[in-house]
Amino acid sequence: MNDSEIVRILASMILQATPLMIAVTGETITERSGIVNLSLDGSMLMAAMTGFVVGLKTDSVWLGFLAAAAVGALFALIVAFGSIRLRQSQVAIGFVLTLLGDDLSAFLGQNYTRIPGPVIKRMGIPVLEEIPFVGPIFFDQDITVYLTYLLVALTWFFLFKTQAGLKVRAVGERPEAAFARGVNVDYVRYLYAIIGGALVGISGAVYSFNVKLGWSEGHTRGFGWIALAIVIFGGWSPIRGALGAILFGATKALATYLQRAFPQVSVVAFNAIPWVLMIAVLLMVSSNITERLVIYMPRRIQRPVRRLLRVGPPMALGISFGDD
Amino acid sequence: MTIQGLLEKYPRVLRLIDILLPLLATLAALAIGAVMLILLKANPVTAYAALLEGAFGSQNALADTLVKATPLLLVGLGICIAFRGGVINIGGEGQLVVGAVSGTFVGLSFPDASGWLIIPAALAAGFLAGAVWGGIPGLLKAYFNVNEILSTIMMNQIAVQGMNFLLRGPLIDPVQLEAASRIPQTARLSPAFDLPRLIPTRLHLGTGLAVVAAVLVFIFLWRTTIGYRIRAVGLNPHASRYAGIHVRRYMVLSLLLSGAFAGLAGAIQVYGVNHRMFTDGSATGFTGGAGFNGIVAALFGQLHPVGTIPASFLFGALLVGANKLQRAIQVPSALITALNGLVVVFVVSSEIWRRRLARLRLVETKEEPLPATETEVEVVS
Repeated sequence: MNDSEIVRILASMILQATPLMIAVTGETITERSGIVNLSLDGSMLMAAMTGFVVGLKTDSVWLGFLAAAAVGALFALIVAFGSIRLRQSQVAIGFVLTLLGDDLSAFLGQNYTRIPGPVIKRMGIPVLEEIPFVGPIFFDQDITVYLTYLLVALTWFFLFKTQAGLKVRAVGERPEAAFARGVNVDYVRYLYAIIGGALVGISGAVYSFNVKLGWSEGHTRGFGWIALAIVIFGGWSPIRGALGAILFGATKALATYLQRAFPQVSVVAFNAIPWVLMIAVLLMVSSNITERLVIYMPRRIQRPVRRLLRVGPPMALGISFGDD
Repeated sequence: MTIQGLLEKYPRVLRLIDILLPLLATLAALAIGAVMLILLKANPVTAYAALLEGAFGSQNALADTLVKATPLLLVGLGICIAFRGGVINIGGEGQLVVGAVSGTFVGLSFPDASGWLIIPAALAAGFLAGAVWGGIPGLLKAYFNVNEILSTIMMNQIAVQGMNFLLRGPLIDPVQLEAASRIPQTARLSPAFDLPRLIPTRLHLGTGLAVVAAVLVFIFLWRTTIGYRIRAVGLNPHASRYAGIHVRRYMVLSLLLSGAFAGLAGAIQVYGVNHRMFTDGSATGFTGGAGFNGIVAALFGQLHPVGTIPASFLFGALLVGANKLQRAIQVPSALITALNGLVVVFVVSSEIWRRRLARLRLVETKEEPLPATETEVEVVS
């Protein structure tokens, strides 16, 4: 394997990870406000279908993205409404919407399967793409990839460095306290569920326009669940979530590469790797295994390592707030 | 008059609404389906007549409905146990698949043995394989705090990959190898292992077994100590721990049993219907989505094992009837999946309204509430 091949694999890995990064960022925002939108797998499918069809009809990818965002926002709105107004289990609503999105996208999109549609063109960033090795991997992509870098950074800044972001986190951690300080808890939850949902919708359309061109039944099936797992892996931080998405892309790229290198081993083994790895990763971050390992490290690096590894869901995640 | 006032005045009427609500929800979904049919320029009256005819019209149709309902009921029973125990199992598809593959493996390994021996052994193998596949997320949830919704979904994918590997490699039908067509399916199991047919239709013994299992699960959950503890953990894990119940162990047990029933469903599907295992690359190719639809059937039956019997029957009827509808009036098959999706949404949202009513009534009658769907156990090491 020569250098250019490595570069090509790594560049495709970044591209593959892009929609996951967007979905993970969206879901992170939503979950930070205390709402679990479990419908990701279904809403991504619906958004991918809607985005593709709108893009095809209007010949404009941007209108396609807009339509996809609207679909994702609608799914999130249903989850938020069910939880806030109807006081029902977010998990149940989300799961049912997942099934509905899958079925409905297959039905509504049946006349649009496997036909060529609009595509986003690759567009290198003038100076940066010249950087050896790094340039072609990160900066010879299309515009959605660059916007995604920006999105991840801005979301991190918003959540952790602005007052509005603090409000979001407060609502997700201690809604009573936020309420007492004059924050309209329900409003914040509606708003960020919808924003997060819109991002999830956009991620679906990114699949149709950039990553896995076109539309077919079950086009993005499975990626929604992966995104949900990466949110946990990312410890509800957009930057760690983005790294998680890239890591997942890396394992997939590695699996593809190994598959070619060892043709005698069954394809299946490699197809199963990402899923096994996901479980292993969830096991690592959810249990206190890492905590036990940290104790054996030199004392000086214990604190930073702990900060790096520490994860915990927002305390009021999935719990409705208000008088019961 | 407030709802509370109504409840006090006519408790019986509202109990009736409880039972009728899911049916009303189904009708509402079918009404939307009618609109879609009109948009597709089909006559909804003839369409739904074909649906009813296809589901209940003849002895054969009724038998098909019952056969279709069987895996739904078995998966639904497992869901009753899991949800009552406060854990969520979305891994029905994968558990069905591992149950079916293990069951098939038993039958293929001993082609000359007696059916009296192989059928129970194969069903037991399916049950155990499902138990393992459900038990792993259970252990991860109870002892390592891993979200069981995600881990069961991942386990589905792993099961599918494993199935594809086995059916394309070690377990492939030798005939397929010779013909070089390599359709991924196993050889047909010896006809001696076919589950007995009940009447001269496709109806097989598995349906009867499923109904018996429903009654047994009811007895287990409401008449035994272990069942009581499972429900206690589901209702309040903290109180259960103070009462001396080993919460983690019972969490694992609920998920394990939940998977076991789905695994049994897979084995029964093989021995009663297909008589071989096949794949189209996804889980639904074999299961027909029973792993997911079983959840809906259980919710429809209000998470009660006996209530799940009519609920899965109704769902089976819908699935069979919708297929016949499609063939009768030539609408795209995707309409059927969309119709099913709509029914699912309406039924579950009606369940949501029912629970609201139930909560209002709770004040009056002290009825046992349904368990919280999200549980969290403090990690005390």
